[in-house]
Amino acid sequence: MPKRKEEPRDLFPGALEMMVLEILRRRPLHGYALAQHIRERSDELLRVEEGSLYPALQRLLKAELVTAEWGVSASGRRVRIYRLTAKGAKHLEREVSKFEQMLEGITRVLAPAKS
Amino acid sequence: MSDELSEEIHAHLDEKVEELVASGMKREEAEHAARREFGNVMLTEEKAREIWKWPRLENFLIDIRYALRTLRKSPGFTAVAILTLALGIGGTTAIFTLVQQVMLRSLPVVKPGQLWRIGDAVECCYSDGYTQGNGGRQLKNDWSLFSWEAYKFLRANTPAFEDLAAFQIGENNAELAVRRAGSSAPAQAANGEYVSGNFFRTFGISAWRGRLFTDADDREGAQPVAVMSFRSWRGMYGSDPSVVGATYYINGHPFTVIGITPPGFFGAKIASSDMPDFWLPLTTEPLMAGATSRLRNPRLAWLDLIGRVRPGTHPKTLQAQLQVELRQWLTSHVPDMTAQEKALWEQQTLHLTSGGAGVSLMRENYRQALWLLLMAAGCVLLVACANVANLLLARGLKNRRQTALRAALGASRARLVCKALAESLLLSVFGAALGTAVAYAGASLILRLAMTGRASWIPVSPTPSAPTLLFALAVSVITGVAFGAAPAWIASQTRPVEALRGASRSVAGNRHWAQKALVIAQVAVSLVLLSAAAMLGRSLRNLEHQNFGFDASGRYLVSIDPKISGYKQEQLVPLFREIESHLRSIPGVRMVGSVLEAPLNGWVWPHDIRVEGKPEAGGSTGWTRITPGFFAALGDKIVMGRPITDEDNADTRPVAVVNEAFAKRFFGKENPIGRHFGPTPRKNAGMYQIVGVASDVDFGDGPEPICFLPEAQSTHFGDPETEEREVWSHYLYNVVIWAPGNPPAIEREVKRNLADVAPNLVMNGVRPYSEIIHADFAQQNMIASLTGLFGVLGLVLAAVGLYGVTAHGVEQRTNEIGVRMALGADRGSVLVMVLRGAFWQVGIGLALGIPAAIGAGHLIANQLFGVRPWDPLMLSGAALLLGLAALIAAIIPADRAMRVDPAMALRNE
Repeated sequence: MPKRKEEPRDLFPGALEMMVLEILRRRPLHGYALAQHIRERSDELLRVEEGSLYPALQRLLKAELVTAEWGVSASGRRVRIYRLTAKGAKHLEREVSKFEQMLEGITRVLAPAKS
Repeated sequence: MSDELSEEIHAHLDEKVEELVASGMKREEAEHAARREFGNVMLTEEKAREIWKWPRLENFLIDIRYALRTLRKSPGFTAVAILTLALGIGGTTAIFTLVQQVMLRSLPVVKPGQLWRIGDAVECCYSDGYTQGNGGRQLKNDWSLFSWEAYKFLRANTPAFEDLAAFQIGENNAELAVRRAGSSAPAQAANGEYVSGNFFRTFGISAWRGRLFTDADDREGAQPVAVMSFRSWRGMYGSDPSVVGATYYINGHPFTVIGITPPGFFGAKIASSDMPDFWLPLTTEPLMAGATSRLRNPRLAWLDLIGRVRPGTHPKTLQAQLQVELRQWLTSHVPDMTAQEKALWEQQTLHLTSGGAGVSLMRENYRQALWLLLMAAGCVLLVACANVANLLLARGLKNRRQTALRAALGASRARLVCKALAESLLLSVFGAALGTAVAYAGASLILRLAMTGRASWIPVSPTPSAPTLLFALAVSVITGVAFGAAPAWIASQTRPVEALRGASRSVAGNRHWAQKALVIAQVAVSLVLLSAAAMLGRSLRNLEHQNFGFDASGRYLVSIDPKISGYKQEQLVPLFREIESHLRSIPGVRMVGSVLEAPLNGWVWPHDIRVEGKPEAGGSTGWTRITPGFFAALGDKIVMGRPITDEDNADTRPVAVVNEAFAKRFFGKENPIGRHFGPTPRKNAGMYQIVGVASDVDFGDGPEPICFLPEAQSTHFGDPETEEREVWSHYLYNVVIWAPGNPPAIEREVKRNLADVAPNLVMNGVRPYSEIIHADFAQQNMIASLTGLFGVLGLVLAAVGLYGVTAHGVEQRTNEIGVRMALGADRGSVLVMVLRGAFWQVGIGLALGIPAAIGAGHLIANQLFGVRPWDPLMLSGAALLLGLAALIAAIIPADRAMRVDPAMALRNE
């Protein structure tokens, strides 16, 4: 196989939200910082259009999983800073465990095919 | 909110640009890169904003707007679809307008839910005796009507009723002749209803003008008062405010009109004729009825009872209590009972039923007819839906590439379905709007068909009410989804790849199975409608053309009421002699005769008789009273002996003419002439001598035994009831005129002559006999006409549907047909090919429709007269008619297919 980076994959629905919540769990961030975080931490394996972050954030706001307030970024711009709510934390926990269960399932199914 | 969002996004982009510039990129390049990695800013903003909106509704509105545009672009298609739906929805709504008012509506009174009726059967007339019920499956023990005494007993002993009202039952109202005191105008005929003093209070009705009855008005010896209906006040007296407080002579007795009921209130019973114009207190009944009064006779039950129960009363408990009370009341009358009554009285019972809808004879009479018509209308609606679905399908298939393109551009399946549904819903809502007008016209037509001739009024209006409009809306939404579902589903199945396959090549397989299935369903449903219409039409013909025993043509019936006109008994013989001689002098009139109850105009009084010299012979016969001219005027032949003549008068021996059915029942093969009979008991058996036998004439119930007594003779009886009936029977209600050859203006002449002879005589009208026969079968006529209309509608719609599908198929296959012809197929084989396709569908439709039509025939079997529920001749007639319509519908596109020019088709290929 040629040593080439594989095509980045699309995300499944809800994956982006899950990642945003996880990042916000550690500390509150503004939109651009969130985008940077995802790109760096995923090692560019995931293809996330930066713009798609904003509908996702609006969804989370609407579901009251995060709150937003205006603040100032490191470069001095007026930005909205997102913060995880208690409800968001609980939701994240549930989603992660569901995701792990799913991953586990998929892995198990795939395992014998490999051996 | 949206500004915040764009500010945020722009901050994001700025940060990114700055970072890229910092890493050594040129600013211009960095701006491009930032935008590239962000994606479409506009779209993102829109998506983010959408999250806060009602996305469905928003999209739906867009779809509606788009659908409006599409519909406007193809006005022909839109007009056909809306018209089809308007007919379907309008027909169904028209019937529902009537169903709602006749079957489902509560009385327009305060809190109808608190009203309960004592009794469950709806009776027309009255009941005589201490047992009640139809005696069908069960004992004769089910009470629905009550005497005044029983009413007072129940009212006094049932505290659970806040108020218990009594009112005169059935269609048998008090016939009134009303004239305002001091007015010189002739008395007007009106309907009255006797009600208890608390009647209006029980229903929570307050006066529009003046006041309504109180218990004080319904006391013996009280000043006679009356309440007028709003409708009569407006119609008969032009809303004259001086009516209230004025004195009116009602059947010759002075009454003060104390008030007017509010508009909309029509009483507590609903009948198809004779709705009350006046309400009178129960205690005025003896004043009006004289010796025939029913008020104080405890055997005579003639009152319906409806009461308002106190809140918290349990109907079951109340019913049990009332049953006990009924038996308590009966206990006090055991000594008056006949032997049969004594055997049954302890089993007498009653049932409490909800009284909010009043007592409706009309509901009993029209229940089956209305449900039948609603089903027929529903069938038409189905066919109409199938038609529109077919139109949409054809268009959807034509627009498949466009739909595929949308799918390719990222429209979700749900959005495609929504778009298709928006269009169909829009069509059906427009259809319903237009259908409301159709419904109004249809309901008016039905009401006109149901009420022929007589100037009767029923509390049913063709104007759509709120429930009717809701019904139309609901039907339109359901139909919209129903006929939109298939096209929408097919649209959702479109694969984007089809958009890329450019060629519009299509072969037979492209005609969708859904279209064919719809045509098959249409054919089947139409066949059911047509065969039902044929059977009902035939049944009506049988009814109207059955042998009534006389020829109706050239005969007229004048309906009069000497009783309420105030004639004394001794005036009657000269009165009728005078009337008849005057009427005979009208040019064109050959013969005139009078009769108590005329043939086909109702019923005859029943009588138990005994025959002299035949102790075993006895039983019931109808009887009526006539003047000598009657047999000749009606054309009723005397088959034996002689008719009644002028010599049969007060000075000669009482005689009778009997009909053949009478002779056969009581004398078998013996000669009845010269024999004697009389009403029970046996001591009267020698009363009348039979002098002649007339051939059978149908008085309303087929050839029943009937005897005819002369107007000029009178006999006397011991018991007051029979004596009273004897007196009453001399007031003849009908004059029969024989005037063959349609003499001009005969009806006006009759009226003028009658007014000359007897200006005070109340006349209800002059009608040709054929019209009376027609009116007798008004309901059957209505059912047959409407079912026929629905049948034709279904047939036309099915033919249009078949035409549409076949034409569409031919259009799609033009190239294929061209190629076939180029390869040597002749025009005949093309014709056969197209017709075969069409008739394959018609054939399956008929195969499904025939058993369904037989089933429908069994469902309507009790509406049929002289027609079997499944008649092979009529069924094959309907099938043939349908086949013919289908042939016409298919031959037009087939003809077009034959004319396909092979060269042209090949060029397209």
